[in-house]
Amino acid sequence: MTISFDEKGRPAHIECVLAGMHRGQWFTWTDSKNKIYANLRLSDKIGVDGNIVDNTVTELPTESAVNAKLVELQNAWDAANGG
Amino acid sequence: MSKTAIPTAGLADAAVTTAKITDANITTAKIADDAVTTAKSTAGITMVDQWRLTTDFTGIANPITSNLEQNDSSGNGVPLGSSMTQSSGVFTFPSTGIYMIIANLQGRGNDGSSGVTDSEFRLTTKVTTDNSSYTEVAFNGTGMASGHYCATTSHYIFDVTDTTQCKCSFRVFVNVDAMTHGDSGKNETHFTFIRLGDT
Repeated sequence: MTISFDEKGRPAHIECVLAGMHRGQWFTWTDSKNKIYANLRLSDKIGVDGNIVDNTVTELPTESAVNAKLVELQNAWDAANGG
Repeated sequence: MSKTAIPTAGLADAAVTTAKITDANITTAKIADDAVTTAKSTAGITMVDQWRLTTDFTGIANPITSNLEQNDSSGNGVPLGSSMTQSSGVFTFPSTGIYMIIANLQGRGNDGSSGVTDSEFRLTTKVTTDNSSYTEVAFNGTGMASGHYCATTSHYIFDVTDTTQCKCSFRVFVNVDAMTHGDSGKNETHFTFIRLGDT
């Protein structure tokens, strides 16, 4: 089980970062029970205007970029919520 | 002796065969409650299945095409009977029949960074009866402020007359970068299929 945001709404997992990087279902996991960066993949197809088309996102972000963004979101949340 | 003069007590048990009982004489009132066992009954729910989104996304998915799994949480009761199948978000029914399709969406408002602080979700069920042209048949919308959660549910009764032609899929629309939630450990955005009876 993955909690993208904790019970207070603070970003808690890289999935919330990934979901915010591009719109739509651009990424998937090779093992949805183990959502770690190594299991991250691009989706083959996405749904656009009622059609199933090739994913327009063609490159995964680096692990360091994803982790850095998560820290950035957490810091922003902490600053906004007195953390 | 006239047949009408023979009292019931005078009939041997073996004398009353099944062949001697006409259908018209078997009435509901003559059937004991415990005479109708589960094995004798063809009524009731014989098929239930449940699928869910496993992964969050922002923005629009029309249709939802990926990150779907059958509910496999501890203690789940599905599938009852045969399973639904899906490919790229297009769901196929296991047999013809009348089905209830229940679609649930769990969402979270955008972070407000776009300058829009109110989010709106629309969840649509779409069906086709020719495996080609889809019609929107159920729609539910909801909205919330930034960072807050919301949920919406829709129901649709679908007459599946041909499993190769009658399919369904789901669409999520949001007005800003709001997030549709999915999880592989519990139901957030999820879809339930119940076969109610024959077509």
